[in-house]
Amino acid sequence: MRKVSSFGKTIMNTALLIFSLSAVFPIVWMLYSSFKTQQEFTLNIFALPKNWNLENYIEAFKIGQLHNYFFNSVYVSLISVFLIIFLAFIIGYMIARHDFPGRRIIYILFLFGMLIPIHGLLVPIFIEFKNVGLLNKPYTLILPYVAFGLPIAIFLFESFIKQIPKEIEEAAIMDGCNTFQVIFRVIFPIAGPVIATATILSFLTAWNEFPFALVLIQDPALRTLPVGLTNFNGQYTVNYPQMMAAMSVTVLPVLLVYLAFSKKIIQGMTAGAVKG
Amino acid sequence: MKAKNAIRPSNLKIYMYLLPGLLIYTFVVLVPLFMAARYSLFEWSGGPNMTFVGLQNFATLMQDQVFWKAFGNNLFIIVLSVIGQVGIAFLISVLLTRSWVKWKQFHRTVIFIPNVLAAVVIGFLWSMVYNHDYGLLNNVLSSIGLESWIQPWLDDPDIVMGSVTAPLIWQFIGFYLIIFMAAMQNIPEELYEAAKIDGASAWRQTWYITFPMLKNTFKVTIMLCIAGNMKVFDHIFVMTGGGPGNSSTVMAQYAYDVSFNRFELGYGSAVSVGMLVLSLGLIFISQLIGREKKS
Repeated sequence: MRKVSSFGKTIMNTALLIFSLSAVFPIVWMLYSSFKTQQEFTLNIFALPKNWNLENYIEAFKIGQLHNYFFNSVYVSLISVFLIIFLAFIIGYMIARHDFPGRRIIYILFLFGMLIPIHGLLVPIFIEFKNVGLLNKPYTLILPYVAFGLPIAIFLFESFIKQIPKEIEEAAIMDGCNTFQVIFRVIFPIAGPVIATATILSFLTAWNEFPFALVLIQDPALRTLPVGLTNFNGQYTVNYPQMMAAMSVTVLPVLLVYLAFSKKIIQGMTAGAVKG
Repeated sequence: MKAKNAIRPSNLKIYMYLLPGLLIYTFVVLVPLFMAARYSLFEWSGGPNMTFVGLQNFATLMQDQVFWKAFGNNLFIIVLSVIGQVGIAFLISVLLTRSWVKWKQFHRTVIFIPNVLAAVVIGFLWSMVYNHDYGLLNNVLSSIGLESWIQPWLDDPDIVMGSVTAPLIWQFIGFYLIIFMAAMQNIPEELYEAAKIDGASAWRQTWYITFPMLKNTFKVTIMLCIAGNMKVFDHIFVMTGGGPGNSSTVMAQYAYDVSFNRFELGYGSAVSVGMLVLSLGLIFISQLIGREKKS
């Protein structure tokens, strides 16, 4: 029986540490470089900033209209998440609990949505939205984000609700609850963990989404952060620290939430795959 | 089942509850599928003039070298990703199950970080990594005396595909790592204990127990790799826009170019149909192969 020598262990531990650190280094580099002046940056790209000045951030908001993009991202993401959870919970509940004509077909239709490469729908959705005058509206992006978010959320809710004993609902009905109250007063509170998972997953997808935001919105006032960044890049091709400040603003909310709830987020993002 | 239970609403009521979600889903996912098929039969630049051309667009698509080049690039990314993402993630997850490995939670958390970031940001970040004068990569290379390795990473058609694939691999290793770690927890401990009693080394246990027990997980991850990389767009759009020339164009990028830069919405629809068919076909084939091996 061969044992790993303590020397070997140290080597492996060090190698793993180097791997992990190099995996985050580009992100760390982006974060601290965003506080440097451009001159400082070109002088030595590795060095930490001498003065942690907020100049780049102020400029990004003033000239780059970053607050506008930021607000749009928050607005579109939050409404999409709310609708996804609300609609998917109802659908997941009905499919899990009740047998009705078309139940299987509806379930399969939604599961199919997890399989199709949605980027293939980019052009046809653009044409459809153009035909019915849905481009460039404050709610334009919410529609696809909700539609793309529903399948995985329905899948998660359905498999969770199936395991809840029916007696709880029967008792609630006896007490005079209607269906809506059964779903949202009785079942919803029990499903806390899986709701958190679905919320995180759909929020991240909406917040980071790019191609549909690029194609369906041309009005600069309605752009979200990822598309806003590509605009920003055109204006400041060479000013890396400035661009890094804008990128940091885009990732900071996500990073902070991640550092606070990393376990939950990791679980959420891999939920579909681990189960499937 | 047949016992009429009190909690069941009428069918009509159920449909009313399902309606809003179904409507949005139908409008955004199902209708466009049919629209793509319809518009792919027209020559149309978005204006009032639409000319029915039958299957002409698909005949063109079959001969379209850029489209097939783009498909080839998708395949290239898939192959590199299966090796890079699935392979590296598996190795690290094996390491992270060893008792002597330190800071496990730290590694998990840190390696997963790129996963939660916007692909657009990853794309810009790596353009900066690859920049000739101010890029991380070239500066690291020259500081360790490897100036001769310095390349125009994103501007040389011969190496650009490797350069744009690296960030994709980098971003998603954490994702596959978690899947493997979750799957490894489901392997019964007794198997390892029996092997230990028989005197099998840790690496033999990995090879003869972990590896075969994870067969299904490998199938799932490879399928996810294929599905995920058929729709690559954001990273490449930001880093190279498909260039130089067409050298790093992928299918989604090509559909975008045709539709929104050349305004050929009819042909763009045909490209989209081609992309949908090829993607679903590939996923289907990978499933079939996976199933065959099982029996």
